[in-house]
Amino acid sequence: MSTTPPSPSRPRLGPSLLRLFTVQGSWNYERMQGVGMGVAEEPLLRDLRVAENGAAYRAAVARGAHFFNAHPYFCGLAVGAAARAEHEGVPPEQVERLRTALCGPLGSLGDRLVWAGWLPFTSGLALIGVALGLGLRAVLGFLVVYNAGHVALRWWGLRAGWTHGMRVALALRAPFLQRAVALSGPAMAVVVGAALPLVARYLSAGFLGWSRAALAGVGVGGFVLLWWLRARLTSVRLGLALIAIAALVGWLWP
Amino acid sequence: MSRELLLLLLAWGTLVGLDLVSVPQMMIARPIVAGPIAGALAGDLGTGLTLGVLFELFQYDVLPVGATRYPEYGPATVAAVSAAHAATLTLGLGLGAFVGLITAMAGGTSLHLVRRLNARAVRRAAPALEAGDARVLIRLHVAAILRDGARAALVTALGLGLAQVARTYLAGTISLRGVMLLDIAAVGGALAAGTAGTLRLVGRGAGLTWFAAGALGGAALAWLA
Repeated sequence: MSTTPPSPSRPRLGPSLLRLFTVQGSWNYERMQGVGMGVAEEPLLRDLRVAENGAAYRAAVARGAHFFNAHPYFCGLAVGAAARAEHEGVPPEQVERLRTALCGPLGSLGDRLVWAGWLPFTSGLALIGVALGLGLRAVLGFLVVYNAGHVALRWWGLRAGWTHGMRVALALRAPFLQRAVALSGPAMAVVVGAALPLVARYLSAGFLGWSRAALAGVGVGGFVLLWWLRARLTSVRLGLALIAIAALVGWLWP
Repeated sequence: MSRELLLLLLAWGTLVGLDLVSVPQMMIARPIVAGPIAGALAGDLGTGLTLGVLFELFQYDVLPVGATRYPEYGPATVAAVSAAHAATLTLGLGLGAFVGLITAMAGGTSLHLVRRLNARAVRRAAPALEAGDARVLIRLHVAAILRDGARAALVTALGLGLAQVARTYLAGTISLRGVMLLDIAAVGGALAAGTAGTLRLVGRGAGLTWFAAGALGGAALAWLA
C-alpha cells in the first residue's frame, strides 16, 4: 500500500549542513561528488522512511548518490532542492533532471564567486597584511573572514534549496548573489594587484645589489615564459627548473 | 629537529592535506595558513610566514575546477618550512622551495591515485548504492575520507623525509653565492607564478584595469612603507 510522504515541518538542515562540509570526501572519476551529495542529502530524506515501507526513502537515497559535480560550497543548493522535490513527490526523472541541470550553473557560479573572487580576494588581503608586518594576525584574520563567507554561503545554499525545491533557479537570481558576482571580480583584481608589489618587496628584503637585479630578471623572465608557454609550462615545473639552473650555476661559480 | 616536532608537523600536514579537498575546505590548506602555523610549531614564525607567502604565490596559478590535476601546496609548505627552518641561514628559502615543489608534485599525483581508488570502491559498491543502502553509502564515504587522510599523511611524511635528506646531505656544501642563487630562483619563480596566475584570473577588459589600479596602489604603498 502506498502512502503519501509526510511534509517535514522541521527538516534536518543541521546534520545535512555538517555533512556538506565533507561533500568532496569521496570525490572520484566515476560519480565525482555524487556519493558525498547522497550522504549530505540522507538526513533530509529520513522522513520518507515511513512511506511505502521505506521504498521511497531508498529510491531517493540512490538518486541522491548519482553523478554530480558543481562548486562544493553550492552543493547544498542542489541537496536542499532535490530533497524538497523528493518530499513533494516529484517524479524521479524530474529530480534527476533538476540535479543534472544544476551542475553547470552551480559550478560556474561558485568558480566565479569563490575560486576566482572571494578566495583570492581574502588571501590577497592576508598577503598585504603579512607584507605590512601584521604577521600571524593577518593569517588568522584571513581564516575568520574567509570562513564567515564560506559557512554563510553553504548555509544559505542549503536553506534556499530546501525553500524553493524545483523552483531553485529563483534562488540563483537573488539580488545579493548577482551583486556579489559582479563585485567579486574587480575587488579580487584590485586586492591581488596591490598585494603583488608589496609581496615582491617583502620577499626581496634580503636581496641587495646584483642579487636584486638578478631577482627582477628571473621574475620577469619567468612570467614571460609562463605566459608564452601557458599550455605546456606549469609554475611547479618553472620553479623546479629555475632551482636546478641556480644549483648548476652555483656549482660552476662557487 | 626533535621527534616530537616532526610528529607535530606530520599531524599538521595531514590536517592541511585533508582540508584541501575532503574536510572541511576551510582553507587551512592554503600555504599562507599552512606555512605560518608550521613555522609557529617549529618556533620559527618568520620562516613560516616567508615560505607561506612564497607558496601562496605559486598557489595563485591553480584553479581547482572539476577534474583538473593540480599540485598540492599545503603539505608541501609544511615540508618546506621544515627544510628551511632546520637549515637556518645555511640554505634558506631556496632549499625549502625545492623540497616544497617536489612535495607539491607528489601531492598532486597522490590526489589522482586516491580518486581512482575511490572510483574503484564506488564501482564495487554500485549495486548497494543503486538499492539505496544508506549504510553502504556512508561507509563508502567515510572510507574515502580516511583514504585521503592516509594520503595526506604519506605526502607530508615524504616531504618531511625529503627535508631531512636535504638537511643531512646539502647543509654546508653550498657556497654563499649558491645559496643566494637558489633564493633568487625560488622567489623569482614564485613572483612569476603569482603574477601569471592572477592575470589569467583577471582576464582582459575591466578586470585588467582594476588590476593595474591595484598594482599602482600597491607599488606606491611599497615605496612609502
